[in-house]
Amino acid sequence: MTLNRREILLGAAALTAGMSVSAPFFIPRYREVRRPSRSRVAILNAEQYSQNIEAVLMQGLRLFKIDLRRKSVVLKPNLVDYIPGNAINTHPLLVAAASECFRKLGAKQVVVAEGPGHQRDTELVISESGYTPMLREGGIRFVDLNRDELIKVRLRADYSGLKQLWLPRTVVFADFFVSMPKIKTHHWSGVTLSMKNMFGVVPGTRYGWPKNILHWHGIQECILDICATVPIHFVIADGIVTMEGNGPLDGSPRPLGVVVLSTDPVAIDATCARLMGLAPDRVAHLKEAAKFLGNSSLDLIDQAAEDLRFPTVPFKVMPEFEFLRQTASLDS
Amino acid sequence: MKDDIAAQELCELLARRQLPTGGWSALSCSSQASVESSALAYIVLPSDFASARQRATQFLLAMQSANGSWPSFAGDDKDGSWTTSLVLIALQDNIETIVHRFSGFRWLLQSAGKESHWLWKWKFLTTDRHVRFDPNKFGWPWIPQTNSWVVPTAFSILALNMLPGGCGFPNREHRLELGIQMLLDRACPGGGWNAGNGVVYGRRMTPHPDDTAVALLALLGRTKDPIVSASVDQLDRIAPDLNAPWSLAWSILGLTAHGRPVKSLVERLSCWPNLDQVEDTSTIAICCLALDYPRALARFGLVV
Repeated sequence: MTLNRREILLGAAALTAGMSVSAPFFIPRYREVRRPSRSRVAILNAEQYSQNIEAVLMQGLRLFKIDLRRKSVVLKPNLVDYIPGNAINTHPLLVAAASECFRKLGAKQVVVAEGPGHQRDTELVISESGYTPMLREGGIRFVDLNRDELIKVRLRADYSGLKQLWLPRTVVFADFFVSMPKIKTHHWSGVTLSMKNMFGVVPGTRYGWPKNILHWHGIQECILDICATVPIHFVIADGIVTMEGNGPLDGSPRPLGVVVLSTDPVAIDATCARLMGLAPDRVAHLKEAAKFLGNSSLDLIDQAAEDLRFPTVPFKVMPEFEFLRQTASLDS
Repeated sequence: MKDDIAAQELCELLARRQLPTGGWSALSCSSQASVESSALAYIVLPSDFASARQRATQFLLAMQSANGSWPSFAGDDKDGSWTTSLVLIALQDNIETIVHRFSGFRWLLQSAGKESHWLWKWKFLTTDRHVRFDPNKFGWPWIPQTNSWVVPTAFSILALNMLPGGCGFPNREHRLELGIQMLLDRACPGGGWNAGNGVVYGRRMTPHPDDTAVALLALLGRTKDPIVSASVDQLDRIAPDLNAPWSLAWSILGLTAHGRPVKSLVERLSCWPNLDQVEDTSTIAICCLALDYPRALARFGLVV
């Protein structure tokens, strides 16, 4: 078969057009791979919020090699809003215990920082959620990330198309950033764990309440872009009393009796999803994050402390996320 | 008397916290001027703080973007933000700013929630029904290219009410009525407002006192509307137990605008421990206004 010049030109044009259309699907949307070869996750038994929690946490932290000497630590709990009776926010006793442990491990400074996404009155959320005495008695400084000084930061991934965000100085210059989520289901992202918790670093004074721009640019996409840009050095997940159903605000409390730790946000979120009876590889942002931010596969996660237990009955989710629930115990 | 002293002390504190640029930072530890905090401080400071007010005027005018809008803070992008309405309220009586204000009003009347576009309206009417709201009733967003929300809509209504009719803005009345309808549409069942999600996935959401109070200021002309009266009752019920000065101060303003007695709330606020050590400038400014509540409403252009 011979091709004439016209056919060759047409073929080349078609090939070029095809490549330009399909290229975006093959070119990675992240700028660097931070995924470690293996990850460690520690599941600690903790049946209730009590003063004993600090000892449990310290025992768990010693399972990780973390050097905090001369470092400023930012603890970022999940403080969204306050509704009496709803397990919405990371419990203050766990945050106080984390602060004390990190100080004992040599941290230069520990601050608690959050920018609630629903309530403009941060002090009201802090007060109603029981944080005020904890902060006062522990001598812990709180930074309202909704009102902190802002720095324009170029995003280190491009899933959302946002390209850049104004982020709080406290977050940008943290030596050691600790995400402290409450384990919950979420009516728009399936789950809200250490990675979704990072929406709280987006400042309300710049983007509003709620941070609606993140919804318009895609919740799962924005989670990926923010987590690629602001490294999470450690995660302490509050799984003592969690939330199922219509989270993050209006779900039902579900006791799980665990605190989960890791240096890898993807590994811990995948583990938490498994503890909830949900398939991590079906959560869009976790599936994508496992390509560059951390490990989600069971084969690449070393379980420390307690064994991973799959619930007999998976967490209730909104109908749109029913596909996340898995009764069979294992995925890879 | 005690309230007057507390208000005066807070005004002096605000004057001391003014940055060399003439603006105020959101938090006292910062040097980045915030437009919200600066506008609120300007609203609060009485005429005997002439020098501080003059420097603040210069700061606010210098912050205006070429498109007529104001940004969120010094150094911010120039595409505009919700603070535009707040600055227009702040500068209402300042004759020398009239040209700047007109371009600000022009921008404000062009700004609208993203749901006002036919495509997104169709989306919210058909496929995206998880949050109960009527996209035909739209107001103002926090920033461009996002939905309308309660607080920016309420401040925009207050600002536009200060613009005399027949000033070359033919769509003013229409936007005002749409904004009012949007606020009424977004109320929580049982009264009050949060950011703007009254019902999500069929469940009633909880109102927030500060958002409720701001919305009530904007709806002062609709006191007979059952949603408004239920919201006043709801705020009246929860205000005595509020544990934060920002929400308490806004509640005082919202309730007094609707004729509810606020003396006990004001007394509580005037005794608030360590108010002068609050880091957040906007909270200090709102507390100052609430302590001076008989005169405060006029600064939002309201006559009771």
